[in-house]
Amino acid sequence: MPATATTEALPDIATENRTGTRADLDPGYLVICWDDPVNLMDYVTHVFQTVFGWNRQKAERHMLEVHKLGKSVLARESLEKAEFYVHQLQKYTLHATLERDVK
Amino acid sequence: MKLLRGGKQKFQFAIKSEEKELLFHVLQLYPLVPAAHHRLSRDRQIPDSKENQELLEESLLAQRQENRRQVGALLKEPERFSETQAGWRVSFSRAEIEWLLQVLNDVRIGSWLALGSPAGQVKIQPGMSKPTARHVLVMDVAAFFEMCLLQAVSGTPPVRHD
Repeated sequence: MPATATTEALPDIATENRTGTRADLDPGYLVICWDDPVNLMDYVTHVFQTVFGWNRQKAERHMLEVHKLGKSVLARESLEKAEFYVHQLQKYTLHATLERDVK
Repeated sequence: MKLLRGGKQKFQFAIKSEEKELLFHVLQLYPLVPAAHHRLSRDRQIPDSKENQELLEESLLAQRQENRRQVGALLKEPERFSETQAGWRVSFSRAEIEWLLQVLNDVRIGSWLALGSPAGQVKIQPGMSKPTARHVLVMDVAAFFEMCLLQAVSGTPPVRHD
């Protein structure tokens, strides 16, 4: 054992400050865009690209799903993130909501 | 309104005098969508549904105030438009195009809601009341400018959703 005093490096243990509830962190919320007969197809595609950072091809695929099937699930996220996306989509006046994933 | 020059962040348009007048008219109508129009959820099976809905409305209200401020600044900035022989020239940044799209679409959707959210395409017809015809016209004008801006940022001709 060394005679000289040594400093011991201890792991940096910090208390995790979790402000979110379990529901906030549960990735069980669906961000859904619903069809309406008024938004321009290219506008919807543009908004998907802007909000989610998708390429044009992916954004168009979801836009066509909205148009043909009446809705498209755009993301499955925690409550907090799903709310964020819904806020962003609604800023562009798209008909978007978040729903609990019941599966 | 035609795109003259487009880069990644700056877009220059040529706009006729009548178009400029129409653009200003449509922008001045903002906002038209009622504040309580948006719902966070349809089935409301989310925790703290009421509080979260209030948060959404606060967030949209803040965004609306910011957009209104931007619209006001644009309308009070005549030097942004430079006169040419054929009309005017104006430049918008990418960020400005984003809030212009939000504003124009709000006016378009607000007019559509005022018409009773018709399912099909609405056209001006003989015998239509003046307020109804005005809503239809505003919808078309807003769509025209949206398409010009979308074409500028995407580089492809937009398609109508009807």
